[in-house]
Amino acid sequence: MLTQLVFALVSFQQHSSTYKKTKRFFYHLLEDSESRLKSRFDKAMIISVLFSVFLLIDEVDTPASNFEKMFEHLLIALFILEYLLRAWLYNDIHHIILKHHAKSLYLNRPMQWGKVAKIIITKKIEYMLTPLAIIDLLAILPSFRSLTLFRALLIFRLFKLFRYFKSLRLFAEIIETKRFELYTLAVFLGFLIFIGTVGIYLFEHAANGQQVRNLFDAVYWSIVTVTSVGYGDIAPQTTGGRLVAIGLILTGFGVLSFLISIIVSAVNDKMNDLRENSIYAELKGYKSFVIICGFGRVGQHIAKQLEKHKQHFIIIDNNPVNAMNARRLGYLVMHDDASKNDVLINAGIKQKASAVLCTTGDDVVNVYITLTSRYLNPSIRIISRANHPQNVNKLYQAGADNVIQPFEIAALVVAQYIGKPVAFEAILGVIREEKQFIMETLAVCAGSMIDGITIAELDFEHRKLMLIGVVSANPTHQKHKNSYALKNQQFYFNPPPFFILQPDDLLVVLGRDIGIAYFREQLKNSRPKEPKR
Amino acid sequence: MKRIAVFGYSIMSLEVIKQLNEEQYSYVFIVKNKAEALLVAEQGFDTRIIDFTNDEAIKSVGIGENIDILFCFYPKDSDNVFLTISARALDNELTIIAIVDDPESAEKLLAAGANKIIDPYEICGRKTYDMLAKPDITDVLDHTVFGRHDLHIAQIEIPKNSSLEQTKTGALLLAGRYNLILIGVVDKVSGDTLHFVMDEKEHTLSSGDVLVVLGPASDIKAFKEEVEAVTEPSVSSH
Repeated sequence: MLTQLVFALVSFQQHSSTYKKTKRFFYHLLEDSESRLKSRFDKAMIISVLFSVFLLIDEVDTPASNFEKMFEHLLIALFILEYLLRAWLYNDIHHIILKHHAKSLYLNRPMQWGKVAKIIITKKIEYMLTPLAIIDLLAILPSFRSLTLFRALLIFRLFKLFRYFKSLRLFAEIIETKRFELYTLAVFLGFLIFIGTVGIYLFEHAANGQQVRNLFDAVYWSIVTVTSVGYGDIAPQTTGGRLVAIGLILTGFGVLSFLISIIVSAVNDKMNDLRENSIYAELKGYKSFVIICGFGRVGQHIAKQLEKHKQHFIIIDNNPVNAMNARRLGYLVMHDDASKNDVLINAGIKQKASAVLCTTGDDVVNVYITLTSRYLNPSIRIISRANHPQNVNKLYQAGADNVIQPFEIAALVVAQYIGKPVAFEAILGVIREEKQFIMETLAVCAGSMIDGITIAELDFEHRKLMLIGVVSANPTHQKHKNSYALKNQQFYFNPPPFFILQPDDLLVVLGRDIGIAYFREQLKNSRPKEPKR
Repeated sequence: MKRIAVFGYSIMSLEVIKQLNEEQYSYVFIVKNKAEALLVAEQGFDTRIIDFTNDEAIKSVGIGENIDILFCFYPKDSDNVFLTISARALDNELTIIAIVDDPESAEKLLAAGANKIIDPYEICGRKTYDMLAKPDITDVLDHTVFGRHDLHIAQIEIPKNSSLEQTKTGALLLAGRYNLILIGVVDKVSGDTLHFVMDEKEHTLSSGDVLVVLGPASDIKAFKEEVEAVTEPSVSSH
């Protein structure tokens, strides 16, 4: 009967989408470091923990008010719930049961419930013994006011902040990486304190019994001396005691320096990680951004343009000078190799990045970054720089959507400038939106006010807009002259008045920004509304 | 036919020549040594090896005489500045286009007398941004106006006593008559600013005004012939 109940429960957990959704929700809330939900939860918890600690401190002198009591109870309830949820999220019990059930069926033997229960309990205890889970548990205990000793555990509630502060967690990781050095130091320090304690007790207890009354006083004096704090409440009177003090001070000074150097070097090692963590946090807040690989001359100009147009971007460059220059300009920088998968993944190529720009001065590197980016995200826009014309096709083969050649583009500018400077500057000004006149594309949506009407009916003149042409892949337009092949479409220059617009056509119009914006708005409003799903 | 003097052999100088219409321009290449001279001569260009710091040598190339346009394409900014100053002193009307390596040198080149400064990296950066921000527009322009298709942007100056004098821009009807789009007009009276036609429909043309048009080469040519038929052309180009 009980077995059937357990299997029914396991089956529910295995197949119920509600159960899975609920578990996924709590995973995003409590454990998923990428989730925005967790970030909000962490912030709320930091505020609650700090507030509760202030209330508990306040209660030392004044009796707790009803509000304080209620808040404390609520918070403790939340802590307990959080503790239990984390224990639940730690592993899937039903997987263990199913695995053993399958094994029993295969071996044709009865299910060993005792063994299964042992594994389940061991796993949960394994969770309870993790440092953060211990802190969680200790943070709950100060609420039991009847146990005054537990009030001292109030400090663990502050330790709980480690859970919610990423930087604090990283600091704990730093300490973890230097575990061996710190362990060695702790053993040496313990040895020193032991010698100091025994020495001072032997020399001073007999001669200076008023100060060094017992072994605890001796331990206390040793620690105060070795850490070079030296309160002076206990001072050695005998020559032997003073010699012990000299020895302890000198060695203590060395130990302290060693300890500081270990921590400093560990922090230094992790400094890059700390910096990158803050970059990732900032990137997560953006709706979309561009990845610039290479902060050379071209990369710098692109960054300048993106900054001018208030667009977000991240720079990846493994040249320390370039990375420092970018950092000095206040840009987000990853000092790393952009051709590595994990670097681009960390930069968000699979998430919110909208484009990758490969702008290093080395074509080999650009091809490699292009290939890596295309592999990691088949739909992302990639624009690559080719420094030598013979590498253009290689970049396209590697997956670039567009390839730019600095000298070819500059040569084109020179060629266009000669003979028609006014015309060329005008068109450049229009593209770069330096004046109020801009060139934009407007899409013809099915069912909108311009779908199926002629150019003459649209009356661009009245709208103070100029139609340069229509970009379309629609075969019905093929009868018109003046068409120029684009990639998979045709550009119909100066379409005649009887040109009938079709859905998905793109109008290339020139006009004042406000005129174009108004027309765009009209088009948007005339679109048939999509039925709500 | 205009004559261009190209100082400095590089990818850039060859690219510019590739982009220019060979029927409208002739070139003289100034290089540093025989090896470069051989490479350029192989491509069929008139080549000289001279010391650009010597005014007499510069004059011997034709600056101050038959050279209309000067390309200062040396890799070092200081060389380009020196060449610009020397050439400007010899010919006040010369169009000098200089390449710049360090952006800070741009102002120095302008002060030295260059008409147009080209920073390839800056242009490339801007172009990349344009591609990102307006992919459709750059795609259309790259394939047509800046590409190999027969669609060009041109400026046409109205000569004195042209039949188009006193004509209103709205009455030109270039779209129907010539398959051209009139982008704007530079009014001689109000300076070099381009006035877009959709804003100022009724501008009355006068001699010296410059029309900026977009369209196929044959239509531009036909329209230019109409403009120039009445009188001798002063300055017109494409």
